[in-house]
Amino acid sequence: MKRVFQHPEGPVTGKKYWRSLEEYSDSAEFKQWLDREFPDNASEFTDGQSRRSFLKLMGASMALAGIGSLAGCRRPEAYVVPLVKTPEWMVPGRALLYASAMPRRRGAQPLIVTTFDGRPVKIEGNNLYPQSNGGSSTFAQASILDLYDPDRSKTLIVEGVAKSNSEIKTILESLRNQLVASQGKDVLVLLDEANSPTQARLVRELQKQFPQINIAVYEPMMLAEQLNNAPKAIPRFEKADVILSLDCDFLNFDEGGLQSIKSFTDKRRVKNPGDPMNRLYVVENRYTNTGAVADHRLRLAASQVINFAATLAQKLGVAVPAVNGKPVPLLDLAANSFLNRWLTGLAKDLQANSGKAMIVAGAHQPALVHQIVAAINASVTAAPQAAVASAFTGLNIVQAAELIRSGKISTLIIAGGNPVYNAPNDLDWTNLQKKVASIGKVYRLGFHNDESSEKGLANIQLPMSHFLETWGDTLSEDGTLLSIQPMILPLFGGISTTQLLGALAGFAITDGPELVSETFKQVAGGDITSAWKKFVHDGFYSGARIAAPVAAGNVATVTPVPVQIDTVPLSPQSLELVIMADYKVDDGRYSNNGWMQELPDPITKNTWGNAALISQKTANDLNLKSVLEKGIYQSDVILIKANGKSLEAPILIVPGHADNSISLSVGYGRVASDAHGLRIASNLGANAYALRSSTNPYITTGVTVEKTGKRFDLAITQEHGSMEGRALVREGTVEDFVAVPDFAKHQGMDAHIPENISIHKNPYFENGQHSSIRPPVHQWGMAIDLNTCIGCNTCTIACQSENNIPIVGKEQVQNGREMHWLRIDRYFSSKRDASKIPLGSNLDEVIELDDTEMIFQPMACVHCENAPCETVCPVNATVHSEEGLNVMAYNRCIGTRYCANNCPYKVRRFNFFDYNKRPLDSLYLGPLADRPREDIEMMKLRSNPNVTVRMRGVMEKCTYCVQRIETAKIDQKVKAAASDNIKVPDQTITTACQQACPADAIVFGDISDPNSRVSEWKASGRDYSVLSYLNTKPRTSYLARLRNPNLMKEGAGFIMPDIDDVGKMSGGVGHHGGDHSAAHGHAPEGEHAHPTTPAVQPAGHRTPVQGGGNH
Amino acid sequence: MANFFPKWTNKLPVQILIGVVLIATFNVLGIWYWFTPKFTRVGYQPEQPIPFSHAIHVKQLGMDCRYCHSFVEVSGHSNIPTTQTCMNCHSHVQKDNPKLAVLRESHEKGIPIKWVKVHQLPDYVYFNHSVHVNRGVSCVSCHGQVNEMDVVEHVKTFSMDFCLECHKNPEHAVRKNEDVFNLDWKPGREQRQESLGKNLVHDWKVNPPINCAGCHR
Repeated sequence: MKRVFQHPEGPVTGKKYWRSLEEYSDSAEFKQWLDREFPDNASEFTDGQSRRSFLKLMGASMALAGIGSLAGCRRPEAYVVPLVKTPEWMVPGRALLYASAMPRRRGAQPLIVTTFDGRPVKIEGNNLYPQSNGGSSTFAQASILDLYDPDRSKTLIVEGVAKSNSEIKTILESLRNQLVASQGKDVLVLLDEANSPTQARLVRELQKQFPQINIAVYEPMMLAEQLNNAPKAIPRFEKADVILSLDCDFLNFDEGGLQSIKSFTDKRRVKNPGDPMNRLYVVENRYTNTGAVADHRLRLAASQVINFAATLAQKLGVAVPAVNGKPVPLLDLAANSFLNRWLTGLAKDLQANSGKAMIVAGAHQPALVHQIVAAINASVTAAPQAAVASAFTGLNIVQAAELIRSGKISTLIIAGGNPVYNAPNDLDWTNLQKKVASIGKVYRLGFHNDESSEKGLANIQLPMSHFLETWGDTLSEDGTLLSIQPMILPLFGGISTTQLLGALAGFAITDGPELVSETFKQVAGGDITSAWKKFVHDGFYSGARIAAPVAAGNVATVTPVPVQIDTVPLSPQSLELVIMADYKVDDGRYSNNGWMQELPDPITKNTWGNAALISQKTANDLNLKSVLEKGIYQSDVILIKANGKSLEAPILIVPGHADNSISLSVGYGRVASDAHGLRIASNLGANAYALRSSTNPYITTGVTVEKTGKRFDLAITQEHGSMEGRALVREGTVEDFVAVPDFAKHQGMDAHIPENISIHKNPYFENGQHSSIRPPVHQWGMAIDLNTCIGCNTCTIACQSENNIPIVGKEQVQNGREMHWLRIDRYFSSKRDASKIPLGSNLDEVIELDDTEMIFQPMACVHCENAPCETVCPVNATVHSEEGLNVMAYNRCIGTRYCANNCPYKVRRFNFFDYNKRPLDSLYLGPLADRPREDIEMMKLRSNPNVTVRMRGVMEKCTYCVQRIETAKIDQKVKAAASDNIKVPDQTITTACQQACPADAIVFGDISDPNSRVSEWKASGRDYSVLSYLNTKPRTSYLARLRNPNLMKEGAGFIMPDIDDVGKMSGGVGHHGGDHSAAHGHAPEGEHAHPTTPAVQPAGHRTPVQGGGNH
Repeated sequence: MANFFPKWTNKLPVQILIGVVLIATFNVLGIWYWFTPKFTRVGYQPEQPIPFSHAIHVKQLGMDCRYCHSFVEVSGHSNIPTTQTCMNCHSHVQKDNPKLAVLRESHEKGIPIKWVKVHQLPDYVYFNHSVHVNRGVSCVSCHGQVNEMDVVEHVKTFSMDFCLECHKNPEHAVRKNEDVFNLDWKPGREQRQESLGKNLVHDWKVNPPINCAGCHR
């Protein structure tokens, strides 16, 4: 008889953690997801084909396979083909690492690229770089897939006809001759922001040779900065104890960057109780990574941030400049005591921490917000910031459009950008480009044959090389010069923007670094032979920075968008629209990248498309719904009207979103007429650029919405792998940690459960002791710090890249078949007492759910010592190693999926199809559908040779990067040779996720070594295991999240109104901390935790174990 | 009623049973022998594009394995020499030997030589040469007396059982590091393999992996 494990019931009072509104309302649909490892669609063949037609197809394909495989009875002859000449450095079978950098619009990321036999296969952060911890970003990790994108622009196309790439030189020569003849008068060059000193030098060279040439720079997500030509500034988070973010997502990879993430999270590594930790206040309209990490978060419409800033300035006694003679309206604090208390508490905290406090404002906020912030920073907080001037500036896109409109331009050279897709809609760029193409010539250097290279819009399309294929240089966030060196010759023979500019300036196109080394010579000066070698080897130049700080002291982060003060209040009839860069496809440049498309958005967990994000209340007001049916979110489609344009987009209700506000990310809704142009990107999501004007590029008010009556199926992974909310994520406040140093171990029902005693003893490692069976060496384990995890997803992509994990396509994600070994679970926690809103409440009435906190938890195989998966495998395909790994032998797996069914962590992934061998749109045809040969070749080039590529019918999961472990062990044994020094030193092995983490939130190592980093982390009081009452003894443990609320008091009560909700020990557990029998002397949280007025707050409330009460 | 079945059919069930047992036994034994690496792999001796003789180069001329297989000590993959390596000598020695025409052509035109792979492991097996040769496992343990072969032959089974046999009892194979590339080395009378191996396994903490992840990743 099947034994049903009775999980202990979760506590009734206190905080609830949930992933989706469906989970909160406990809908039948959600329960279905919960109860089964593989939901309906995932495990059954419910798709278009019936079982009968499936058998027919299979019969046919078996017959075909039979004919084909007769020749396979003999062992095929294999060959070893050595090179003719021995290349320098190359050792067959070993990786070669090179330093390089990925250019980004707000500062490049220093990288180390792993190459095997001359092909780059993995990208990592450059840990030689002084400000780097070796972390990287999702974009850097995924850019390796772009290199091998079979949809890349491969050949020269002249007037719609493909030509040989050898003609590129001739074309550029004739273009230069034309420049010489016209002196550049009628020529406009449109570049994107690469922060490249060499490109800047070549532009100066062009301007010198052809004084009348027009150079413009356009970067869609830097439009405001470019219109205002403002210097960049870097906030110094390492010096700030109190930070207020006004709609600034400084923990993403756009506005923020690796340096911000590192310096911010370094101040949150609380090792011992009482250690200092910074405090973050966030005011924003939608949840961002930054908002999720906040200690106090206020949801506020983005257009009201200016009013918030003005009100804060007034509280702090800082003067606010008037706009057109009118003062900035202040928030009505008298009517909103919550807001009043929030602002008061914030203002006092900023004042109290003068010199250690800092305010940052989002790049898409109006200039006035930045002025106010600068004023407060100068007078009150004295925030330490450093400013950096831009590398070079040209005309902006508006001026460029004006030039074309005036008819002065007959030759347009677009290098890199895609203005037809992403130029502001009021410029009518498509027609402008069409005009130039008809009267003159449009040259387009592009990575894809996309919107801007359509016939009729561009006369000549030149294939562009990837940054891994070319020489170059670029500047990091703080202006350090970084080198870009080629790992491989251009796969399809493209050229880079640098080479294009060089050719126009009269330099020959070569494969070598001449253009770059010339710039370096000017920077470094003198004899550069050894300096150049070091520059290329290390990846950065340690000498003077290129962009010297323009001013010391306090500078606004960025000075963008012109001010608007709207008098029309926001309402469901007049909403605001916020347009932002996407977490996955950025400004659209990664939209043909399958890894990024399939990556769940950190906040919404939406894949393969975007959606208009709104709050539950706004959805209720507008009568919009997003329902879970058959495991698929079906959302109402709305028509958004803004800036005189309209756009259809599906809605998505996100808890924590501001009311009367819509957030829509750019980068989707791409169309390419070329069938092989953008196979991944085409027809996904809505193109937010269509709503974007140059006057309102980010925040538009007065937006109206119409319900279209249509429904759209989203592919959201938030329900996938739900684990019934058994205190999986744990958090407390800084003072909880002081009061109960091991609070995390006693949350959930862990405090109630007697000690786990196994009958089975681990034969290799029990109670921290090695056994005598084998020579004791290593016992692997991992710890993940939830306090520094920012949920950025870089680990997920790094894992995908390292372990050859395929993508499965939108349809299969909807079926719950995504393959990511490492997922990031995102939990909302309701701020109010959960007992007040019982499970099963009607969602339409539960608008309080909009006030939530968020917490991330990376979840992969935890390598249980008593692994439930191992005992049920009928073929011993998953077994335990003596070093504590739960290993998976793919070749033994027969695909019963018992292991996945028995895994309480839901981390095993099954290959339902041959995702590598078949095109994603015809997976169901099985062997009858063949992926184009070129796609497969590209996949082979990209794959990590040290990891097996799995086939259909095989189970897989996180291996702790066993290939890296084995390589390190082998290297150590080789080093040991005739000695017994075989113990791998700590931190020699970094798993792909640990290596990639920009926040350094993951550590892996030998837990049998008490001095290893992982042992140190695990010794922390914050350490806990997920589902420890099952006695699975997971090797991956977590360090509980801490929050650092503002505990200032006014009279007897706390000033901050949300104080009861911030980081409250989860699951009503506070009173279960410490000794179990003693714990029952306390009142349940629900009885005294939520006073209606703070004045009646019991004094002992914040120190849970010492509080009194009857129970 | 007349007998429906004639009398000889009485023996039929027994005959069928014996037949089935015989066929089954034959199948099992047949698969046991002909489908296993003992039959499919051992003895494989393909013709190479150049009739290279290890016997001449190693046995007669006394070359070390590592002159050609130069990265065997540092890499998982034991490299086949590049044309350049061969030409180091053959630009002076045996310059006009017609057997080396392919080599000279490769050198002149830059076309790589397609050697036929003799020892081939499945793709899901990750074998590493460097760790074996640095920890006392000689080439001869897996490849046989290559130094005496005119044409390289597959002599060991390379089945999983073959690998595990040694991984479980490494003392049967390990020798001192200086003897690893000496394919003719035999344990001396005064020091038998058993005791030498046991000492080395203990002193060097030799613990070859016997879990799946050791070879399958």
